[in-house]
Amino acid sequence: MWNYIARRLLQLIPTFVGATILAFVIIQIAPGDAITRFELDPTVDREQIERLRQQFGLDQPIPAQYAKWLSGVFFHGYLGLSLDYRSDVWSVIRQPILNSMVLVGLSTLLIYLVAIPIGVYSAVRKYSLGDRALTFLAFFGLAIPNFFFALIMLYFAIWVNDHAGMRLLPVGGMTDQFLGGVPRQEAPWIARTLDVLWHSILPVIVVATSGMAGLVRIMRGQMLEVLSQDYVRTARAKGVAESMVVYKHALRNAVIPLVAGIGGLLPGLIGGAGLVEVVMAWPGITPAFLQAVSAIDIYVIMGLITISTFLLIVGNLLSDLLLAWVDPRIRYN
Amino acid sequence: MKRILVLSMLALAGLALAQPKVFKGVEAGRAGGNYRVTAISDPRTFNPFVARETSSTDVIGLFLPYLTGYDPYGLKPEGHLAQSWEVRNNGLTVIFKLRQGAKWSDGQPIDADDVIFSATAHADPKVNSNARSSFILDGQPIKWSKVDQYTVRADFPKPYAPALIQSWYIAPEHIFGEAYKAGKIPELWTLETPVNRIISGGPFMLESYSKGERVVLRRNPSYWGVDDKNNPVAYLERYTFTTVSDLNAALAKFLAGESDLYAAANADQVAQILERIRSGGLKGEIFPNADVTTGTNFIVFNWNHKDSDKAKLFRQVKFRRAMAHLMDKKSMIEVALGGLGQPQWSPISIPVKQFFTDDVAKYDYSPQKAAALLAELGFRKKNAQGFLVDATGKVLEFNLVTNQGNNIREKIAQIFAEDARKIGIRVNYRPIDFNELVRQLTQPAADGTRDFDAILIGLTGGIEPAFSRNVWQLNGSLHAWNLGVGGQAPKQVESFEVLIDKLMTQGATTLDPAKRREIYVQFQKVVAENVPLIYTVAPAYNPARNARIGGLFPKGQINSIVGQFPYIETVFAKE
Repeated sequence: MWNYIARRLLQLIPTFVGATILAFVIIQIAPGDAITRFELDPTVDREQIERLRQQFGLDQPIPAQYAKWLSGVFFHGYLGLSLDYRSDVWSVIRQPILNSMVLVGLSTLLIYLVAIPIGVYSAVRKYSLGDRALTFLAFFGLAIPNFFFALIMLYFAIWVNDHAGMRLLPVGGMTDQFLGGVPRQEAPWIARTLDVLWHSILPVIVVATSGMAGLVRIMRGQMLEVLSQDYVRTARAKGVAESMVVYKHALRNAVIPLVAGIGGLLPGLIGGAGLVEVVMAWPGITPAFLQAVSAIDIYVIMGLITISTFLLIVGNLLSDLLLAWVDPRIRYN
Repeated sequence: MKRILVLSMLALAGLALAQPKVFKGVEAGRAGGNYRVTAISDPRTFNPFVARETSSTDVIGLFLPYLTGYDPYGLKPEGHLAQSWEVRNNGLTVIFKLRQGAKWSDGQPIDADDVIFSATAHADPKVNSNARSSFILDGQPIKWSKVDQYTVRADFPKPYAPALIQSWYIAPEHIFGEAYKAGKIPELWTLETPVNRIISGGPFMLESYSKGERVVLRRNPSYWGVDDKNNPVAYLERYTFTTVSDLNAALAKFLAGESDLYAAANADQVAQILERIRSGGLKGEIFPNADVTTGTNFIVFNWNHKDSDKAKLFRQVKFRRAMAHLMDKKSMIEVALGGLGQPQWSPISIPVKQFFTDDVAKYDYSPQKAAALLAELGFRKKNAQGFLVDATGKVLEFNLVTNQGNNIREKIAQIFAEDARKIGIRVNYRPIDFNELVRQLTQPAADGTRDFDAILIGLTGGIEPAFSRNVWQLNGSLHAWNLGVGGQAPKQVESFEVLIDKLMTQGATTLDPAKRREIYVQFQKVVAENVPLIYTVAPAYNPARNARIGGLFPKGQINSIVGQFPYIETVFAKE
């Protein structure tokens, strides 16, 4: 077992180097660099521009820049300097990552809480009206683009507020400036937490609906497969109550692949919720990443790629281990 | 009795010592309230020596002082932290008297040491501050020295007209001094620094910052400003920047009444705001076409072309005039700007009244005149495809690019390209990536050639023509049509370029305002006559405001340089 884990962790190194080299080269192929946008400012002199490039090491050859960055990551855990913020990358991306985690964490929770019961229901009442309706809704959520659904939700929030004559739903954003009449930073932490949760209602719904369909279908398929197996028939023949058959005998086995998939959620957690964040003005990692790309803030991009590559590999490992843990048939020796 | 006498004498002494600046507002204001604006981008830093972009300096400018700026009513220099000044030595020396009694928010006095320290740090190439160009005049340094605790002296290598505009930010020496010696200035006042450790010498001080959401500043109670009735300013209790993703989100915030001031970018936004006001959804006002923005849009041809035939053609003033005759500015305003804008003919922005002149060569839209001028250059016949050819059968052809995503420029370029094709010029229009465009424009090959034909681009304009020397002087880094290599003048220059270079130098070193105007009027005439840059149209300035804010200019006084109010100090919330 430990042998296996060590081997997997060793595999991390070539994967990591390969992925980052590829990213580094692709960013460099794009024209210009982080300093280019200052060049059309008539009040900035050429020597200032040149000195900025020197300061940031942008005048060095690309392999040298990459080597310097990589050694920083390996030996000091230093992700580099953000060329846009002129401070270290971790301080730039930490807060957006945490903000995104709120959204992704809550919506993942919601997905599992809703998708598993729906999947079970759909399997048990196969081809019933309820099954068809829920399946239709789940696919509707999958088919509708997130950014568009987010816009509709914003419109919905404005409509609700206009009709209620008060602010029942927030229109974008993650926090309010004033909570109960006092500035946010002076409000008690419970009020601040509730405020964030209140703001997250709509984006969480948007993110959750898009992720739900897949899980519902997997759950339904798994349940159907398990329910048709011999031991379920045996249980029924023994006169076990139907609810016991479904929830105790069948569900436990059907849910195994879902448990194994949890590790795969890890990189998704910091990957952010995508364009929903942009549309709903959630200060998450997607807007930060887009900003870094448009400013060619190379080390912020690299930093995000580093962390998500790392989490992807660790997440996969975790999935494999979880699978071995829940399924006694699997052994890694 | 005696005690009262002593007290009143003390009070008098205090008055004599404290020298607050009087901010004359538009109307009498009241204290309190929150002023809310949107920002398209987060600040990148709170450190004045590191800041490079307006999203940072817009915030820094609210909590750090500067010596002098423009008086919003007359656009002449006025003192901020500098209470007065004296020009000596035929303009080579300026002695600034600082306001006594001005304090940082931590109680330390703001004095000559802070000013001299800030000047030294800004000028230091190792710090590489964005304000560094304010400390060098044609390669020679401007020397700053301390005279006494409240007097500083600036020595210029030659007379310098904008010498009285010293709007670089002054930072507290007792905070930055040690770090500067250790070479660690960039580590101070970053976004990670707790905001209560960032002290203020301006009207506001930082209260909170949340990345990607908002920056909140609170009134600085120890500020050195008063209104004309000696009440302390700023009136506003809070100043809030809300970060939004783009202009549309900013508009949405304004329409929802969640931000107070806005400048509509185009006719569509103007219509949306008008509609919202009319339907009663928003209590506010908008003034479409109140002024013109200071930015410029122009087409520049490449005189350093690899293809020597093209370089030769682009150097012909007749060719450029023909192109100027092909600018259908009326259609450009109608189509690209939705009717809100003005044609531009010369390099100085229209709102800069003290230098702008309308009395320059203008090229009316006339394909006939353009065709006649091209015929004089040898393009008389058309080939089978209907394109003009010269005597050797070479087609009159060039590529025109502009930066992708700028809708106004893309439309202007399309209108021009279409009109040019109508008289038989093969213009291949293509939008390209901004960074690629900058590379083509600013980075010549080792032999001095560049590989574009024509570029439609814009530059931010400003009130002071001397600050655009990089565009007009022969060795300037943005001498876009004819660019030298390595900071040198281009190899082959036309006589009018030398004249422009001379006029720019004269304009920067002449102190008499009337003579300066004369010089810049001539400069505009020379440029318009020789059209090194072919100007297009300037978008209108369409300011809008929420009715809850007071202290704003009435319609007639609005201009795009100053904005909607004279000073932030005298803006107030009505309720």
